Amino acid sequence: MKNRKFFNPSSGAEKRKGAVEMPFAWLFSLIVGAFILFLAIFAVVKIMQTENVAIDAATAKEVGVLLNPLETGFEAAKTTSLILPKDTRIYNRCTKDETFGRQTIRLSQKNFGKWSDTDVNVGFSNKYLFSNNYTEGKKFFIFSKPFEFPFKIADVIYITSANDKYCFENSPADVSDELSNLGQENIFIKDCPANSVRVCFSGNCEIRVNLESKYVEKRDSKMYFTDNTLMYAAIFSDSDTYECQLKRLMQRGEELTSLYIEKSNIIAAKGCSSNLGNDLSVLSSQFNVVDSSVNLNSAVVDAVQNIGVENGASNCKLW
Amino acid sequence: MPCKILELKTARQIANCGKRGDTPYALPPKTKKKMKNKKNGQLKIQQMSFMLIAITLFFALVGMFFLTLQVSKIKESAKTLEEKNALLLVTKLANSPEFSCGAAFGSERANCVDSDKVMALKNDIKKYGNFWGVTNIQIRKLYPISNNTKECNLNNYPDCNLIKIQDKEITSEYSNFISLCRKESSNGEIYDKCEVAQLTVSYGK
Repeated sequence: MKNRKFFNPSSGAEKRKGAVEMPFAWLFSLIVGAFILFLAIFAVVKIMQTENVAIDAATAKEVGVLLNPLETGFEAAKTTSLILPKDTRIYNRCTKDETFGRQTIRLSQKNFGKWSDTDVNVGFSNKYLFSNNYTEGKKFFIFSKPFEFPFKIADVIYITSANDKYCFENSPADVSDELSNLGQENIFIKDCPANSVRVCFSGNCEIRVNLESKYVEKRDSKMYFTDNTLMYAAIFSDSDTYECQLKRLMQRGEELTSLYIEKSNIIAAKGCSSNLGNDLSVLSSQFNVVDSSVNLNSAVVDAVQNIGVENGASNCKLW
Repeated sequence: MPCKILELKTARQIANCGKRGDTPYALPPKTKKKMKNKKNGQLKIQQMSFMLIAITLFFALVGMFFLTLQVSKIKESAKTLEEKNALLLVTKLANSPEFSCGAAFGSERANCVDSDKVMALKNDIKKYGNFWGVTNIQIRKLYPISNNTKECNLNNYPDCNLIKIQDKEITSEYSNFISLCRKESSNGEIYDKCEVAQLTVSYGK
């Protein structure tokens, strides 16, 4: 061992007092060991990140799949809750491309005090989720209601966190009845908690609903609605989500109108004429025009109501 | 004559040194030890490099095995979710606007499918693509019982018993019983006709 010195024996360094005698094999194994350890730690961190992304993506898909039973039959509205094991943020994204646009959900969960950074979006074409940009918590309330314009276009889904409490004080009878029947824990009709978001139908508060002009005012943005389904949608979601989902609803409405036109032709061949063909064509073009809630004007609403009345009075109802 | 160590160039010269009656050159003991140590050191470095290659290979194999496991786990979970989607969808699909009867046949009913609307949908299905996230949706009339399967199109409708709305390769399917209603006419009189049918939803590979 004495001869196998790291330093050249002929050099004067060896003779220096306090010089470290480090065999080459030791130094080599230390470097390689450190490299292997670094690689192992790097791999573990990467695997954990990938695992988190996979869990977030799977949970997002599961959330979407679990929304299927919320498709209402002929009931007015229904609610359910979703409890996740960790603190979770549900990001709500919406795109208007393609025939029906797309609803995407992205989940981020809290691990060791940090939100996981997931860029995997899980998409659905047949879902319409109304919520803020993201909803945060462990427990979420999911409430769905059919949107009819004039026929049923879809079941819209509102997602709120149990952490966000909404106070509907002095709301009209139909609204307070419906909300109290739902029995959703974070919606209060009376005795509102101090930290709740106030929704008022007159006066000034965070979310103001104007029933006469049919709009909801929130953070300096106005969202126009036609019925209670869209009113709740405007209350529970941010302006961008609302406008995008509204456009998607109109896109589906346009396609449904084509189906009803085709159906009217099929049943007309059997001698059952609804005489709604022309009106439906007009309705289809009006759906196309509504690319923002501002365009939900009286002309559109009147046309929709008239077709609804005509269909109701017909012997050969289309819907 | 002693061999001169500095003149020995080839391996043979080194091996023959001292064999032909030469007086072998005696290396100093310090140099001999040095050479032995050098040889030992080279051997150890060689051993270490083999070991390193073996360790790298081992970790690469373990990594590949782990990756394969992860990928199969993700695939399995995706399949389970698709199954779940199909299972939950089939119970509610009949109530979606493209299928449901609405109030077209009197009052609103659950699990009632409007076959006239479904035929219109079948015609327009390209637009719907992957709208419901399943690969196949079909409706089979169960009553009146028929031994022959007759697929519906606009020419033979309603004298048929199978409406294939989407038709792709499938792996598994889920079904639900529904009432399939349509407008019918007899002697100029229009009436509603409802039959028992089975709505099947399947997901692909």
